[in-house]
Amino acid sequence: MLEVQGVSAGYQGSDVVRDVSFRVDEGETVMIIGSNGAGKTTLFRAVCGLLPLSSGRVTFLGEDITGLPAQKVVRRGLAFVPAERHLFPQMTVEENLVLGAYPDKPDSEVLETVLELFPRLGERFRQLAGTMSGGEQQMLAVGRALMSRPRLLVLDEPTTGLAPIVARNAYAALGRLQEQGLTILVAEQQVPLALAISDRGYVLENGAIGLAGTSSELASDPRVRSAYLGIA
Amino acid sequence: MTASILDGIVLGLQFGVLAAGLTLVYGLGGVLNLAYGQIAVVSGLITLLTMEAGLPAVPAALVGLVTGGVLGLVFDLTILQPVYRRHGEARVLLSLLLTLGAAFVIDGYLNWRYPLQGLNLRITGDPLVILGVRMRMGSVVASGITIVVIGVLFWLFRYTRLGRAIRSVIQDEEGSRLVGIDPQVMMRLILVLSGVLAAIVAITRSMVAPVNVRAGFSLTVLGLIVTVVGGLGSIPGAFLAGLVLGIINSVASSYIGTFLSLIILLVAAAITIVIRPAGLLGVRE
Repeated sequence: MLEVQGVSAGYQGSDVVRDVSFRVDEGETVMIIGSNGAGKTTLFRAVCGLLPLSSGRVTFLGEDITGLPAQKVVRRGLAFVPAERHLFPQMTVEENLVLGAYPDKPDSEVLETVLELFPRLGERFRQLAGTMSGGEQQMLAVGRALMSRPRLLVLDEPTTGLAPIVARNAYAALGRLQEQGLTILVAEQQVPLALAISDRGYVLENGAIGLAGTSSELASDPRVRSAYLGIA
Repeated sequence: MTASILDGIVLGLQFGVLAAGLTLVYGLGGVLNLAYGQIAVVSGLITLLTMEAGLPAVPAALVGLVTGGVLGLVFDLTILQPVYRRHGEARVLLSLLLTLGAAFVIDGYLNWRYPLQGLNLRITGDPLVILGVRMRMGSVVASGITIVVIGVLFWLFRYTRLGRAIRSVIQDEEGSRLVGIDPQVMMRLILVLSGVLAAIVAITRSMVAPVNVRAGFSLTVLGLIVTVVGGLGSIPGAFLAGLVLGIINSVASSYIGTFLSLIILLVAAAITIVIRPAGLLGVRE
């Protein structure tokens, strides 16, 4: 579904990620794990069209989307939820969700699914997004992305700034989306959470893929165990 | 007193529309358009020339509105292109320099070709008595049009998909791109809208007092003062500040003197900035 080949990207002429390749197949949940500063965010921003690539190719649903700007990428069915969420703080939850379907009218069925997944958003429907808690804002960011009826949901560190229990709830919601057949790509520092729901994973170290495998392979790899799971 | 307050409201509504055009462009794209007043003046002049060519006032005014919109579009497609390639403070600064240059060129041309022209739309009709004050028909019609324009703007931004999309770019540009909105397209639309608003100000203003070809810079300065007091980027702020400053201006003019009114406006702006640096309804960064 998504094929990333030899992508390099960065800021002001110096590449943060170099020659990264990975792929996500239909129906899979794939994680990219790595420590702070490994280049996860840069990689995702480049794939989603927020950052120009310095080299490489991105193919989505069989079409070349390399260099396509983010506003066009989302219309092809690839929705990105950044770690900073980028909600519209002075708009209500409702307005944020409605904008998620832009330029179409919001689909009432999709809206219902989102409110079923996150009942809290229904309770806060008329509240301004900027006045909600971090966990609620994360729900809204995911909900807004779902309103575009994506084929692939890309999440960058969805647990940033969330308390452990809120983070676990966020992953429970991702698990339900997975059961509904949504393809998910997630970058995470909190590796145990991501491991539990993903089929495969890649380890990003200093801007390059250091290791790849199924989740169980990664969970038993001594390097992953010591560096990301805290098991000696 | 009632008379000068009513006059102030008439003026204040126009101040609000004037400032809305500036504040939208700034809020959306971090661009300050110092040729804004010149867009208003050129639109007024084209309205006048169309009338002199024999068209009635209403179609001529429509030609004026189209002129304003087209000028906004031309700005977007030409001198603002290098501005869009910069970000943050560099963008504001370059937009100031380039639009100021454009303003000088337009002003120079107008002074050379049409030094004595001024748009003066006389609205005939008996004065209307409002709250015991006789209001000239011109003021009443101008205010009526302005109130309708404000209503339309409010509806556009509150209830339409396009309006929401524009507000989303003002609140979080990256977020708007992630939901599929192209900020560049929104900016183009807003520049057209801003040009039309400038034309509306020139046309409604000329129903109250003549708008001559040299009014460009003073219109821009007035718009900037109102924008800053209301809070850069805030549309409701622009209208609130417009009303407040319109009333201050009008009351000060009749009790102190017209010659001091601009200074009094600047003092009011300075006091606002000291007390509330973000403006009346501005969002603190």
